[in-house]
Amino acid sequence: MVLKNNSNPRTAMNDGAVHITDLIKTYTDDRGRPTFTAVKKINLEINNGEFMVLVGPSGCGKTTTLRMVAGLEKITSGTISIGDRVVNDMEPKDRGIAMVFQNYALYPHMSIFNNMAFGLQLAKKKKDFIQETVSRTSKALGLDHMLERKPQALSGGQRQRVALGRAIVRNPQVFLFDEPLSNLDAKMRVQMLSEISRLHAQLGNTMIYVTHDQVEAMTMGDRICVMKDGLIMQVADPLTLYRQPENLFVAGFIGSPPMNLLKGKVEKEASGLVFREAAAENGVVIPLKGPIEALAGKVLGKTIVFGIRPEHLTEESKNGSTTPVSSTIDIAEPMGSESLVYLRAGTGNLIARIHGEALYHMGQPLTVYVNLDKVTLFDTETEGVIQ
Amino acid sequence: MHPRTRLLIRKIIAHSVLITVCALILIPFAMVVLASFRKGNFPPSALLMNPDQWTLDHWKYVLGIPYREMLHAATGETQLVVPTVAPLRWFLNSILVSSIASFGIILLSGTAAYAFARLRFWCRSQILTGLLVLQMFPQILTLTAYYRILNYIGQHFPWLGLNTFPALILIYLSGISINIWMIKGYFDTISPTMEDSARIDGASRFQAFISILLPMSIPIFAVVFILSFISMISEYPTASVVLQESANRTLAVGAYSLLDEHEKLWGHFSALAVLSGVPITMMFLLCQRFIIGGLTAGGAKE
Repeated sequence: MVLKNNSNPRTAMNDGAVHITDLIKTYTDDRGRPTFTAVKKINLEINNGEFMVLVGPSGCGKTTTLRMVAGLEKITSGTISIGDRVVNDMEPKDRGIAMVFQNYALYPHMSIFNNMAFGLQLAKKKKDFIQETVSRTSKALGLDHMLERKPQALSGGQRQRVALGRAIVRNPQVFLFDEPLSNLDAKMRVQMLSEISRLHAQLGNTMIYVTHDQVEAMTMGDRICVMKDGLIMQVADPLTLYRQPENLFVAGFIGSPPMNLLKGKVEKEASGLVFREAAAENGVVIPLKGPIEALAGKVLGKTIVFGIRPEHLTEESKNGSTTPVSSTIDIAEPMGSESLVYLRAGTGNLIARIHGEALYHMGQPLTVYVNLDKVTLFDTETEGVIQ
Repeated sequence: MHPRTRLLIRKIIAHSVLITVCALILIPFAMVVLASFRKGNFPPSALLMNPDQWTLDHWKYVLGIPYREMLHAATGETQLVVPTVAPLRWFLNSILVSSIASFGIILLSGTAAYAFARLRFWCRSQILTGLLVLQMFPQILTLTAYYRILNYIGQHFPWLGLNTFPALILIYLSGISINIWMIKGYFDTISPTMEDSARIDGASRFQAFISILLPMSIPIFAVVFILSFISMISEYPTASVVLQESANRTLAVGAYSLLDEHEKLWGHFSALAVLSGVPITMMFLLCQRFIIGGLTAGGAKE
C-alpha cells in the first residue's frame, strides 16, 4: 500500500499536534439562550502523529469535541489549535483535517470516483492530479474496480472504506474518526480496525478517534481520553488506564468484564486491618496484608470502594500477598482458555477470570484468592483513587 | 361454505366495489369527452351518441381554427365562426404562468425550507407555525386587497399592475407555506452529515446545498412542482380578478367565461376542459421519473 501524498510536504514537525485549551461548548436554543453544556472546560494535548481515542458513554461530549476540532460545531469558549495555528474561526476545509463519519456520509448521487474527488474538485486541483490521487488511493484500499459505482451498490465495509479514501485524498494533517465502525458487523469491524491501524502506521498522521466501545479504544489508541458528562476523567495509555485508573468511573468503564467494586469500610481487628463490605449481614471480609495495609491505614473507618480486577481473583494462592475469600458460584462462562465465573460472596457479587481446566457448576463453593498487590482503593466522596 | 365459494364471493364483492369506483371516476370524464364532439351546445348527458351528431366544430373553436356553423338547418344557411380570442391562447397563458410560478415556488420554498431545516435562528419554530396558520386562511379573502395593491403598483410600474402575468405570478408565489413544510420535512429525513462532509471537503454552505442536498431532494421538488402546476392551471378566483382582459385570461377563467349566463357554450367548454387535461398529464409523465424512492440510498446508514 502506497498512500503517502508527496505533493504537499509538511515542513514543521508539530504540524499535526492538536492543543485543546479550556474548551467549552454550550448548546443554545433558537433564541441563543443556553440549554445544555456538552463540554465543560476541557484541556487536552494531542501530540503530532499520535492516535488519540476519545471514549465515554453516550452524551459525554466526545463527539461534540471532535466536531469542534473539525469546525462543524461553533466553540463557545476556549481555543483549539492545530499545529501552531489557532483554528477557532477557520473553515473546516482550511484546518488541515479530514473526517470519517459513523454513517459513512457518502454522497449517494455521485459515483465512488466523484465521492473521493469532490474535495479536490472544489479545491480546483488539476484533472490529472485528481485522477492520479484518486486512482492511487482507491487502489491501495482495494476500491479501484468499483470507481464508477454508486454508494448504494456497495457493502457497508466498502462504503466505509470509500469514506476512508475520501479522507486520505485530502492529505490532511489530522484524521478525525467519529465512531467509524459502529455500523459495521463484527467481522467487518475487526477488518476495518486493523485497516485503520495500518493506515496510522503508514501515514504517521495525528488521528483522533471517537468511540463508545472501550475494547476498540484499548486496541487502537496510543493514548486514551476517557470522558464523562463533558469532563475528562483520565488521559493515559491503554495499560496505565487499565492498571492505574485515577477514579471510580475509569475503573468501572475500562475493562471487560469490569472491575469488581465493593463498597465498605476499613476496620481494625485483632489480626490486623480488614476490609468489611457494607451489608446488613454476611458482607465480604477481606483481611488486608502487605503494602495495601499502609494505604488502608490512612482511611481507617471511612467508607471507601475496594476495587479488584477479575483476573486478580485466582483459584489458587499465589506468591505474594493474597488472601482467601469463600464464595459460591452463581454462573460460570467457560470460554476455553479461561472461564468467567460470577461468584456470590457474602451479599455481594464478584466476577473472577479464572484460568483453568475445570468446569464449574452453579452452587458449587469456591475459595478465590484476592491478589492484594493489585487492589485499588477509591474515595467514595471524591471518587478519586486513594494513594 | 366451501373455501372456493367463499373466495369467489369475496372476489365478486371486491371487484364490484372497484368497478363502481372506477365508473364514478371514468363516466363523467367520458361524458365530457363525448360532449366535446357533439353537434350543438348541449351539456354532457348521454354516454351514447348518434354517428351523425359527431363534429369537430368545438375543437376547431377552441384551437382557433375558423369553421362554418349551420344557422338554419332548413335553408342550409351557414356562418363563418372566427373566435375573437381563441381559447388556445388562454391555454398557453395558463401554461406560461403556471410554469414560471412553479419554478419560482421551487426556488423560494426550497431555500426557505433549507433555512428552517438546517439553520438555527431567532423565532424559527414560531415562524414555521405562523406559516401554517397563515395558510389556513383562503387566499380568496385577501383578493380585494390584492386588487387595490396591484392597481396602485400598476400606476408606477405598469408591467406589474392589474392585467399582467407578473402580477398574477407574484400573488401565486405568496402561497408557498405548505410547500415549505413539505420540503422541510423531506430535508429533515436527509442526514446532515453529508453536508458536514461536503463542508469538510471544502464546500461552502451554499455549495453543499446546491451540489449535495438538492440532487438528493429531486423527488420532493418534482412533487411540489406538479402540485403547484396543477393548482395554478385550475385556479380561478385570483386569476379572474387580476386578469380581466379577454386575451389575458388563463384557462380556468376563460373556460368559465364560456358558460355565460345567457349562452352556455357547453360544447366549447367540454373541448377546453379536455384540452386542459393535456398539460397536466404531460407534466406528470415528465416528472414521474424523478418521483422515485431510493435517491438517498447508500449515502448514510440509518
